[in-house]
Amino acid sequence: MDKYAAGFGMSLAVTCVLNAIILVIKEKNDAVMGAMKAAMGHHWTTHGVIVIVCFFVLGFIFSATRLETKFDSHRMLKYIIWGVIISGLITAGFFMPNLKLGGVIKY
Amino acid sequence: MFIQGVMMVHVALGVIGIMFAVALFVDVLNVNEGNIERIKKLSLAVAVLIVLAYIIGGYWYVVYYGHDRDIIKAGQWPWAHNYFMEVKEHLFFVMLLLGIYLPIAVYRNTPLMEKEKRCLVLGICALIVVLGFFMEGAGGIIGKGVTIGLMGG
Repeated sequence: MDKYAAGFGMSLAVTCVLNAIILVIKEKNDAVMGAMKAAMGHHWTTHGVIVIVCFFVLGFIFSATRLETKFDSHRMLKYIIWGVIISGLITAGFFMPNLKLGGVIKY
Repeated sequence: MFIQGVMMVHVALGVIGIMFAVALFVDVLNVNEGNIERIKKLSLAVAVLIVLAYIIGGYWYVVYYGHDRDIIKAGQWPWAHNYFMEVKEHLFFVMLLLGIYLPIAVYRNTPLMEKEKRCLVLGICALIVVLGFFMEGAGGIIGKGVTIGLMGG
C-alpha cells in the first residue's frame, strides 16, 4: 500500500469512531455542549471542524508511521468498514430512545 | 424561495454524488487502461459533490433549520427530528470523510488492476452509496415531519 492510502485509511477508521464518541460526550455533558456552541456558534459546526481536522492530522501522523508495511488493502478496508459500523451503531443506538418504538424498550 | 433552493441544491448534490459513486463502482469493477482516467475523475467528482453537499446542507441546517425543527417537534412526528435528523447530521461526517478519502484511495493505491487494491475502492464506494441512501431517506422523513407538523392535529 501507499503510505498515504494506509495512513489516511487508518485515520478514516479512527475518526469515524471518534465522531461517535464526540457525539455521546457532547450530548451527555452540558458544559461540553455549551463550549462547542460558544466556539463556533453551533455545536454541529464545531463538531464538524474537530472531525475534519482530526482526519487530516491523524492522516499525516499515521502516514509517517510506515503503516503501509504492516497493512494491505484488504486489512485496511476491514478496519474502515468496522469503523463505519461502530460509528453507525453508536450514533443510531444513542438516539434510539427518541424513536416512538424506543419508548417501550427499557434502557 | 432562496431557502428551498438551498435545500434542493443540497439534495441534488447528494443524489448526483451517490450516482457518481455507483458509476465509479461499476467502472472499478471493469477497470482497464481505457477507463483509468475516468475513474480518477469520478473519484474527485464524488469527493467534490459530497463536500459541497456538506457545506450547502450545513449552511441551511445552521441558519434555517431551527424553524422547521420547532414545527416538527410540535407535530405528530417529533421523532423525524429527534431521531432521523440527529442521526443524519452526525452520520454525515462519516460519509464526508469517506468521500474525501475516496480520491486518496484511487490516486495513491495503485495499480487498480490488482484485485486487492480494487477491493478498497469498491468498499469505499459501497459505503458511500449505503450511507447516501440513508441520508436521502432520512431527509424525506424529515421533510414529511415538517408537512405533518404544519397540518397540525
